Amino acid sequence: MSALLQRSPKKTEPASPKARTAKGSGRGTGRRRQENLAAYGFLAPWFLGLIVITAGPLMASLYFSFTDYNLIGDHQWVGMENYERMLSDDRLHSALRVTFVYVFVSVPLQLALALALAMVLDRGVRGLPLYRSVYYLPSLLGGSVAIAILWRQIFGAEGLVNQILAFFGVQGPGWVSHPDYALGTLIVLNVWTFGAPMVIFLAGLRQVPRMYYEAAAVDGAGPLHRFWNITVPMLTPIIFFNLVLQIINAFQTFTQAFIVSGGTGGPSDSTLFYTLYLYQRGFGSFDMGYASAMAWLLLMIIGGFTAVNFLASKYWVFYGD
Amino acid sequence: MNIPSGGVRTRRTAAPLALAAAFTLLASACGGGSSAEDGVVELRFSWWGADDRHSNMQQVIEIFEADNPDIQIAGDYTDWGSYWDRLATSTAADDSPDIMMQEERYLREYGDRGALADLTEFSDELDLSKIDPLIADSGDLDDQTYGVASGVNVYAILADPEAFAEAGVEMPDDTTWTWDDYVEISGQISDATDGEVVGTQSMSYNESGFQIFARQHGENLYGEDGELAFSAETLTKWFQVTQDLLEGGGQPGASQSVEIEAGGPDQSVLATNTGAMAHFWSNQLGGLTASSDRDLELLRYPGESESERTGMYFKPAMFYSVSAGTDHPEEAARFVDFMLNDNQAAELILADLGLPANIDVRAHILSSLPEADERSAIFLSDVEGDVVDGNPPPPIGAGEVVEITKRVSDELAFGNLTPEEAAEQFMTEVEAATGSQ
Repeated sequence: MSALLQRSPKKTEPASPKARTAKGSGRGTGRRRQENLAAYGFLAPWFLGLIVITAGPLMASLYFSFTDYNLIGDHQWVGMENYERMLSDDRLHSALRVTFVYVFVSVPLQLALALALAMVLDRGVRGLPLYRSVYYLPSLLGGSVAIAILWRQIFGAEGLVNQILAFFGVQGPGWVSHPDYALGTLIVLNVWTFGAPMVIFLAGLRQVPRMYYEAAAVDGAGPLHRFWNITVPMLTPIIFFNLVLQIINAFQTFTQAFIVSGGTGGPSDSTLFYTLYLYQRGFGSFDMGYASAMAWLLLMIIGGFTAVNFLASKYWVFYGD
Repeated sequence: MNIPSGGVRTRRTAAPLALAAAFTLLASACGGGSSAEDGVVELRFSWWGADDRHSNMQQVIEIFEADNPDIQIAGDYTDWGSYWDRLATSTAADDSPDIMMQEERYLREYGDRGALADLTEFSDELDLSKIDPLIADSGDLDDQTYGVASGVNVYAILADPEAFAEAGVEMPDDTTWTWDDYVEISGQISDATDGEVVGTQSMSYNESGFQIFARQHGENLYGEDGELAFSAETLTKWFQVTQDLLEGGGQPGASQSVEIEAGGPDQSVLATNTGAMAHFWSNQLGGLTASSDRDLELLRYPGESESERTGMYFKPAMFYSVSAGTDHPEEAARFVDFMLNDNQAAELILADLGLPANIDVRAHILSSLPEADERSAIFLSDVEGDVVDGNPPPPIGAGEVVEITKRVSDELAFGNLTPEEAAEQFMTEVEAATGSQ
């Protein structure tokens, strides 16, 4: 360590311009190599983190997905058995159903709301930075335990929502504790975190040249036409980006469902998200082999959706020429 | 300072050095032995519970440390729900607490897989001679003692006499009441108060109640080899009682029950003064009396005199276990001995971990028990004459049955399953979870 510190002044020592520009000379490449090495040295802690904390467990889970591993004792190689068991696991199928409904309903709603709000703010509202922060806040908080607990209270049988409904003489159900509504409250929670895509949309809208709108207005295009024929095409790269990110995020939703359902995925499995079921299998049933296999299936599903998104993007995303 | 002039060589050493430094930092972060330099042994003790228990336990630990300056105990506590996730992960990582609280439904899971030490090996440190014979061998599996019971518990009905009075319904005679009486009384209470006070909290969310019911019918939840030991008819009858209560209004509706169950004891109908009866373990009487601010009473289960035999049973409330991987098993055993056999510890814990397993200690604290715990002690001795036998230890996977029971109860309450279908689904899922076909 001390050697490293002692040498460091030398590194900043100005090299002669000749040596620096002398590309291909032995001394120049040598120096570059040293500097690269030093850079790798400094990168090492993060690189190590990637291997130890991400890549290592990733590979381990791939291996465990082919074993019967109960978390406490030894594991045995069982080949494809975990994957075969998935075919006949009714709860897995119901978890997939819940997750798909969640992704396909909440992501489009969230993006539509984000775009709509972004367009309103883009018109030059006074105090824009304030609004931007206010709307962005839920994105930061949405995945937190505190918000999930708050959600539970708001949508509880005697929560805020029902108190407001009672004011209008409507007797609301226990939203989070009824199988018909529980998933809906989680979709609303996800839609509520529209701030992050909104900020990106807002930046995108700023990039659309004003002259297009002026030219269209001169040609007599109304607001709707301008939206469909200028705003949307110009924003497609941004929409695409948001779509890919939000789909990936939505598939991995865990905290909200875990807290709102108390870890059960209930009532009657109506909020049993894929990741929640994975967690139950791994840490509740000590079925870590199966849970690992589930993780890899999820990776394949998300990978598949992302690939389809990228392939389809050729046909609708406009990058401008 | 002797700086080599070669430049090239020295800078080349920078990369490995940085790498080495990173490794050192990482290694020192992961390390940390369980033994301090000055000969003091550090042990970790983990338990589950609510705030009351946490502060009591800390006090107990302080007394133990004062008496045993060579041992330091670090408390590691959480609530019941996350306890098992945490224990599973730390055990898998070979970092389990040296001393841990265990439960009947999980003890086998850990014991069979070699995660728990055999406590009979530490007879010099750990005295098990004064343990109530009723539960003395409840932590034994295959001739090994994986856990020693902290106390004794009984599953019963907790009733709020004030709620009964409010509804103008008489408290039942619990030595003779039948399941029909239970449904009828519950309905009467709900009716009389227009649902302001419900008769009873749903009983289908805990399989311990069904175990009593099965025993009343000469069956049991699990047999000697961990197999299912009840018939589908009995389980259907059990779910039918809940169905009758739902239809007769004697218990809260489905959606409300989900919320009540999720809230734990503090959200139970007794704690919120919105119900007259609920099913609980006897050690919870003290806590619920406090949160409800009422003088709750323990009642025998309905149907004790109705069918073939009585069904109520004593259960070891919790177990103290020592990790098989601990570096200091003797010291850990000494701490367990203190928890079990020391009067000072019992004076603080009282009946929170069940009525103390050590008979002498139980006698010692009996006079100092708060009123509610004293009632539960009297109740236990009253019931003792009726208890026919104990239960065989539950099979591996019994911990999963907790969730299965909740899920099936939800489906039944929301009307997605009939009692027959609920019984069928419960049996299929439990068989899959416990590996008994």
